Amino acid sequence: MILEVVHPGGARTWHPLGERPLTVGRGFSNDLMLDDPYVEARHARIGLDENGGPVIEDLGSVNGLVGKDTRLPGRVPLHPGTEVRVGRTLLRFHDVEEAVPPALVDATASSATTAAKESQKRLARWRRARAVRRVVRFGRTTPARLLTAAAAASAIALYSWLGSAQRSSGSEALFAALGFAMIVSVWAGIWAVASRVTVHRFHFVGHVGVAALVTLAGLLWSVAIEWAVFFFPDAGLSDVLSIGIGLVLLAALVAGHLSLASGLSRQRQWRAGFAVAGTALLIGGLATLVEEESFSDVPTFSGIVKPVAGEWLPTETVDEFGGVMAKLKEQVDEMAKP
Amino acid sequence: MSFARSLLLVAILPWSHLVAQQRSVTTSDVFSRYADRVVKIQVVETGSAAKATIGSGFFVTGSGHLVTNYHVISKLIHDPDRYRAELIDVAGAVKPVAVLGVDVVHDLAVLGTEVRPPAHFSLARVTVAQGNRLYSLGHPEDLGLSIVEGTYNGHLAHTRHPRIHFTGSLNPGMSGGPTIAEDGRVIGINVATAGNQLSFLVPVERAASLLEQVLGPGDDPPARTLEAIGQQLRDHQDAYLRDMFVGETKMVDLGPYRLITEPAPFFRCWADATRRQELPYETVRHHCSTDDQLFIAGDQSTGVVDVEHEMISTKKLNSSQFFSLYTSVFANDNTPGGEEEHVTSWRCGTRNVRNAALPMRAVLCLRRYRKLGELYDGVLKVAVLGRGDSGLVSTLTMSGVTFGNVDRLARRYLERISWR
Repeated sequence: MILEVVHPGGARTWHPLGERPLTVGRGFSNDLMLDDPYVEARHARIGLDENGGPVIEDLGSVNGLVGKDTRLPGRVPLHPGTEVRVGRTLLRFHDVEEAVPPALVDATASSATTAAKESQKRLARWRRARAVRRVVRFGRTTPARLLTAAAAASAIALYSWLGSAQRSSGSEALFAALGFAMIVSVWAGIWAVASRVTVHRFHFVGHVGVAALVTLAGLLWSVAIEWAVFFFPDAGLSDVLSIGIGLVLLAALVAGHLSLASGLSRQRQWRAGFAVAGTALLIGGLATLVEEESFSDVPTFSGIVKPVAGEWLPTETVDEFGGVMAKLKEQVDEMAKP
Repeated sequence: MSFARSLLLVAILPWSHLVAQQRSVTTSDVFSRYADRVVKIQVVETGSAAKATIGSGFFVTGSGHLVTNYHVISKLIHDPDRYRAELIDVAGAVKPVAVLGVDVVHDLAVLGTEVRPPAHFSLARVTVAQGNRLYSLGHPEDLGLSIVEGTYNGHLAHTRHPRIHFTGSLNPGMSGGPTIAEDGRVIGINVATAGNQLSFLVPVERAASLLEQVLGPGDDPPARTLEAIGQQLRDHQDAYLRDMFVGETKMVDLGPYRLITEPAPFFRCWADATRRQELPYETVRHHCSTDDQLFIAGDQSTGVVDVEHEMISTKKLNSSQFFSLYTSVFANDNTPGGEEEHVTSWRCGTRNVRNAALPMRAVLCLRRYRKLGELYDGVLKVAVLGRGDSGLVSTLTMSGVTFGNVDRLARRYLERISWR
């Protein structure tokens, strides 16, 4: 992580943070000396907590650590984008990988227009990256997380309403949304308790946001799969795709929760996520293997139908369907062999 | 209450007693005259020496040939190493019997013994008038030889293979016994019951032709093995399915759809509609089926062909809601059950298919019989597409047919579905 210091006069300095703790204050014995009368001699300490996550700690100063106009608790976990004020000095934290804007073109040194164009392109790329970063940063805020949860609940209600053939479809939809809210609350609650134990913060809304985001993605995906299976019943890709995407979603769920409930590096979070998903795949795979061998007198087929105008639908002729039947014959003949 | 009822019974009893006595004169005559020609047949598990099935049979030649039902001795055909069959005559003597030939379609078997019966029935073609009194002989529930009176009610109108409707109560164990007229002519062989005095007989001429085949010179050997039974089934289904749905076929209109109905005279059709206030949709069903199942083994029967249409329509649901209902109706399983010993699991293929008239989603599910050679069960399910407020799920079920006929019938069926 990189620490950007914005001094009271507006000057900026940058300091890489390593494993070693860093003390911040006006005194000369500090690792980072600040020329700011509102800062204590020994004001704060930047280091790693017991889980290896970076934190800033107040060392009992008068003015403490201040966030956006509010005093922060004595110990604040640090993420890329976190801003903490000590006295009149602003401490801003960045990811090492964070892109900086490209160099401006110096007209006297490089008069070639190609260089100018190249520079323009780089600048545009950087701006796009910055926009994404801002969205991600916004996604981590409480209003964004609540918004995601509301979107997921609405999507579930809509899905339930569109899938209901009962008179009471409206109340069914409401019931589905409430059920979702209940399950997500319990789920996020469990993770929040875990977070309290590990990183001393509940992050309840954060966990709700993670669960809601994954639910939303899963719902969109299952709708997409339904349509794909309707249009291309024989593609056979649906199983592979739905298992693949299911695993990625499960990994994302675990990694998302771990990002709030642990100090693990991002890479480790995803590794843990995929470990969980892989285990689920293994168990599921074994279960299907066992089931595949067992006899059943109930057929399985994709009976999905969708409201599509006839001319939009790719179809085969009755003769081509005869080819499907011949293939089935080969399969059952093979199965009937002793 | 109970006092009043017993009074009533007492009042009725003398009269009914009198009637019974009058009749029992001829019945007991018939019984004493023909009882020694009827035997109990039992199939015994060789390991435990315990009875597996019991039924009845009767002598048809002086050299010890017996007629019974195929379903009485079917275990012997399926597992000849594990079972043996024996007869028990009126005197209680036990003698071994061997299967000489079966007719699985008509549920008949001819058995051979070394017994030389003093008297036997003859299997001549007979004509009887509706209402004639008949007597059925057999061993109901292993309770000893019994005689049951009933009346002849002609041949069933809606069956593919001939059956005599006999109004008398046949019970399990009487299967394979003869039903005769007063003078001892065999009218039919006891085969099935639908309860409440509604019973069925196999006409005697079927047994006569099987016996003829058994006694014949041997260029057309009678079936005794599972493979031969499979061949009988293949010949049988080919005879009535090969030309089904060809040429002029009866059609029925269901809402906007025009569909096949009553493919042959031996199909029986039923229709039914559901319009309930609390449901935002309506359902109309139309169902045609051949009633006659062929018995293969205790846990396998076959031979039913079935056409089912289910139309759903709505004025209240939006098209997305309607199609989720349509999907669930289409996914409903109405395939015949089966045991792993006899059939493979199903394999299904799904395609969006268009015939000359309309687009539809078509699913064919197929499974093969394990023991009877090239015989299959095929289920074709179709959901007509292209409308947002009505849908039609149509199912053609074919059991115990060759793949050639599954293919032919499925294609013809798909081609025949059209708009009104």
